[in-house]
Parts: sequence; C-alpha cells; structure tokens
Amino acid sequence: MTVAIEAFGLTKWYGKLLAVDHVSFKVSKGEIFGFLGPNGAGKTTTVRMLTGMSRPSEGTARIMGFDIQREAVRAKEQIGVVPDISNIYVELTTWENLVFTGKLYGIPRDERRRRAEGLLELFDLEEKKDEPAGRLSKGMRRRLCIAMALMNNSSVLFLDEPTTGLDVQSVIKIRELIRNLNRQGLTIFLTTHNMQEANIMCDRIAIINKGRIVAVDTPERLKNRARRLQSVVVSFDRAGTRVEEDLRKLQGAARVVKEGDKYRIYTSDPSDVVQALCSLAWKQGLRIVSINTVKPSLEDIFLELTGIGEVVGHA
Amino acid sequence: MRRLLRELSVALAVAEKDIKVYYAKPSSIMFGFLFPLSMFLSYIVGRGIGVDKAISVLVAQTLLFASSSIGSVTIPMERRVKTFDRFLTAPVTLHSILMGKTLAGLLYGAAVSIIPVGIGLIAGMRVASPSELAVGIVLSSATFSCMGVMFASIPTQSPGQVMMPLNFVRIPLLFISGVFIPIEKLPLWGRTLAAASPLSYSMDLVRAGIEGSKYFGASVSILGLIAYLIIFLMVSIRFHIMIQKRE
Repeated sequence: MTVAIEAFGLTKWYGKLLAVDHVSFKVSKGEIFGFLGPNGAGKTTTVRMLTGMSRPSEGTARIMGFDIQREAVRAKEQIGVVPDISNIYVELTTWENLVFTGKLYGIPRDERRRRAEGLLELFDLEEKKDEPAGRLSKGMRRRLCIAMALMNNSSVLFLDEPTTGLDVQSVIKIRELIRNLNRQGLTIFLTTHNMQEANIMCDRIAIINKGRIVAVDTPERLKNRARRLQSVVVSFDRAGTRVEEDLRKLQGAARVVKEGDKYRIYTSDPSDVVQALCSLAWKQGLRIVSINTVKPSLEDIFLELTGIGEVVGHA
Repeated sequence: MRRLLRELSVALAVAEKDIKVYYAKPSSIMFGFLFPLSMFLSYIVGRGIGVDKAISVLVAQTLLFASSSIGSVTIPMERRVKTFDRFLTAPVTLHSILMGKTLAGLLYGAAVSIIPVGIGLIAGMRVASPSELAVGIVLSSATFSCMGVMFASIPTQSPGQVMMPLNFVRIPLLFISGVFIPIEKLPLWGRTLAAASPLSYSMDLVRAGIEGSKYFGASVSILGLIAYLIIFLMVSIRFHIMIQKRE
C-alpha cells in the first residue's frame, strides 16, 4: 500500500453553508503534503473530518486503508494530531501529559514509559520533565504537543500551523524535527498559511479555496504553471513618470508595478522584455543598475488561484 | 472483551486526569461545594432542625450539585482550550470518554458528600443504615454526574452557559424532592412531581441511611436512580454524538 490518506468527495455543510465541497485527494506514504488556503477556505474543516473531530456530511476518507467512518477507531490508531494551538494540559507536568496520552492510546505501562522517555530526549524536553506544562515556553509547548501526537507511533501526522507565532530558533528546530520524522517514514499532512514554509517543506501542495481544491501539485510545478506570473525586475539610475509610461508600452509587458526604486514587469516571455528593456535604456540614455528575471513565487500562485490577488492588486 | 477492557482503562485514565486537573479549580469548588453549602445555610439557620435531618439535607444537596458540576464544568472548559479534541482524535469511542467524565463526577460528588456525614458523626449523629447511605451516595453521585455530562452536550465553550440551564433544573428539583419539605407533607400534585424527580429517590435513600425514615423505600429508590442513570447516559451519548455531527 502506497497511499496514506485518500479523501473521496469530503463534504461538510453547516446548516445552509457549504464549508467543504466534495474534496478529493491522495497523499502518498512518506510524503510531506501541504494544505494551503485563505482563512475560511475549509482547511481546518477538512482536517477535522480527516482526524475524526467532525463527521462529513457526504463522502469519506481512508487513513492507511481504514475508513474514517466505518473503521474510525482503527483509522485513529494510525494518526497523530497537532492542532493550531498547543492543546496540552497546562496543569499537568510534561511527563504526565505524555503518559496520559499513552493511556488514551491504550499503550501498556512499560512501553508507555519507554516511549515517553524517548520522546523527551528527541524533543529536548528532558530537563522540563517534571515542570508543569503551563510554565513551558511557547516553542517548548509546541514541541511537547508534537511529542504527544507521536506517543502512539503514528504513521500519519497532521500538523496545523506548527510554527505560527514561534521565534526563529524554535521555527528552525521544529522544521528540522518534522524533516527528521519524515525521513524516518512518517507521512506529514501540513496545514499552513506560510508560503515559504510550504515551499521548503512540502513534496506536494493542495490549494483549497471556498471549500474546493483548486490545485494539487509539487511547489515547482505549481510555479511553472502560471507563466504569465513570471516577471522581470529592473532598476534604472533615474526614475520618473515617463519611464513608467514607456515600460507599460513595452512589447510583452502584461503589467508594471513599481516596487521602491525598482519596476516589476509581469510577462509570459521574460526574454522579449529583457531585450526591449535594453533597447529602451539605450534610446533614453538610462543606465540599468540591476535586472533580474523572477519566476512566480508560491505566494503569487496562491494569490492567483484563490482570487485574492485581484482583490489586493497583485498580478 | 479486550476492547471493553481498553475502553474501561481509557475511562479510568480520563477520570484520573480530571481529578488532577479540575477538582481544585475555583469553578468546581464554587458550583460543587460552596453553592450547596450556602443554600443549606440559608435553609438551616434559625430553624432549630436536628443534626440528622440537617445532615440528610446537606448530603442530598451536595450530591446533586457536586456530582453534576464536574462534567458540566470540565467539558466546556476542555472545548475552550481544545483538549477535548484530544479525545475525539484518540482511538476510543465517545462512550468511554463520557464514562470517564461521569466517573470523575461520581468520585467528586461522593467524596464531597462524605464530608458532611463526617461532620455529623463528630456532632453526635447516628447512621441508621450505613449500607443504604452508601448505596444512596454512590448511585446518586453516578446519576447526577451523568446529568451534568448530559447538560455539557450544549455546544458551548463557557461553563457558565451550561450552568445556567443546569441550575434552571437543579434548583426547582430541591423544592419538589422532599429536601426542604418532606414528600409526605406535599399535596397530591407535589407528590406526583416528586415521583418524577431523581433527587427524590436520592433524598429518600439518604434519609433512610441517616434517619431511618423512608417514603418510597430502598428498592424503589434504587430502581428509580438506576432508571434515571440509564436515561441520562443514553441521552448524553446521543446528544454528544449529535453535536459532533454538527461540528
């Protein structure tokens, strides 16, 4: 079996509001799968359905081959869940949090202790073992939360915004932990708003908007998809309204955006635009200070696919 | 059988965790201990009621308020901090989670209601039937704890929003269940209402245990409490599943 998660037409209605609309996708074993979408797009609702927190109105999903509705308990045995906020028991110690999770998963006493000790070491929390979890820093709480999700030796880890609100050091540490866990064979389902995180962490990405999946692909293929979002960024030794007007008239220029002392010219053919820019500079006696061709970022693709770009004035 | 043992061990783990986390919370102490105590004091002061009668009333009130306060406080609080989601994503049924919550309420109610019994004994009270008192305490705690868990199915993250409707039921129960006025002294409509109240059976067993007087009799009271326990449990599971479907 190579598929870890399979969603078949997952749908969720809240009264008359359709939050998730027949969402289908597959996540392969050992993959880091990113799930992106603007607020209210249906990301959390989809994750809630996949992890058993909420029941689908229509459709179903399989986790490691187990149906989330008909074999809910078996499906849940395969997963670990880290929600967007660290839902640890702040009154219990770090150790007690891990042990309680082990009890919840029916892990025998000796095995429970062994795994808890191993996770404390792996997540660098040994010194905080007997400390109430409420006294841990935000980064440590996050690490404890992930450790709790791994108590059952899960095959699939659902991570919802794992690095949001953390300092740079904690972000780097958690990303490294996630990569290490993935290298050991764990399938990761990563929900994030952070495009850079999705870009550097995920093997594939699904973009959801208004309850529907609008794209599923690798980050690089997604970027290549939108040729018209390619751009040339140029900076001249002097600027002026005349320059901007001339740039708009360039052959192949779809749109011009002034970004500080630079101009970004969106085009589906950067080569044509570079040549036209050189010609323009020569004719007007301008010196080119810098010139770069830029592939669309994942953020550009996201804004394009979700339609937010039009609202905020992006390409 | 293995599955059943697994569910039972999860229920025990949930109860143990609730004991550690919530028993000393101000809301549990307030709704489960101080509230019935203040109501008791306002009833007892200046009335010249004997120790055994007074303790019976306090025990029954404490059983009702303390036992039903744990589930109704902990579940909305856990929804608020998202720890309730841990239960929903764990490989266990909702039944064992609710059983654990009920067990935590049962132990809390039973432990708190033993305090007035102890005070009564120090003050010279005599227990007429320890076995009836013990059965009354355990069964009443279980029934009222389940009632609290049932009310906690109200989809809210605020304990106050569960407490309001719960008190809307709990406080009138005090007046129709022989707590302040013995059932035999109630008019016919009052006695009919009393038969429909789980607190009447609880009060009757506690009175039988402490004072030796009874209205329904031990068997009827035990059956009455068991019937309500089953009803509350079934309704509770059904409501919680309904809420999960809607969420």
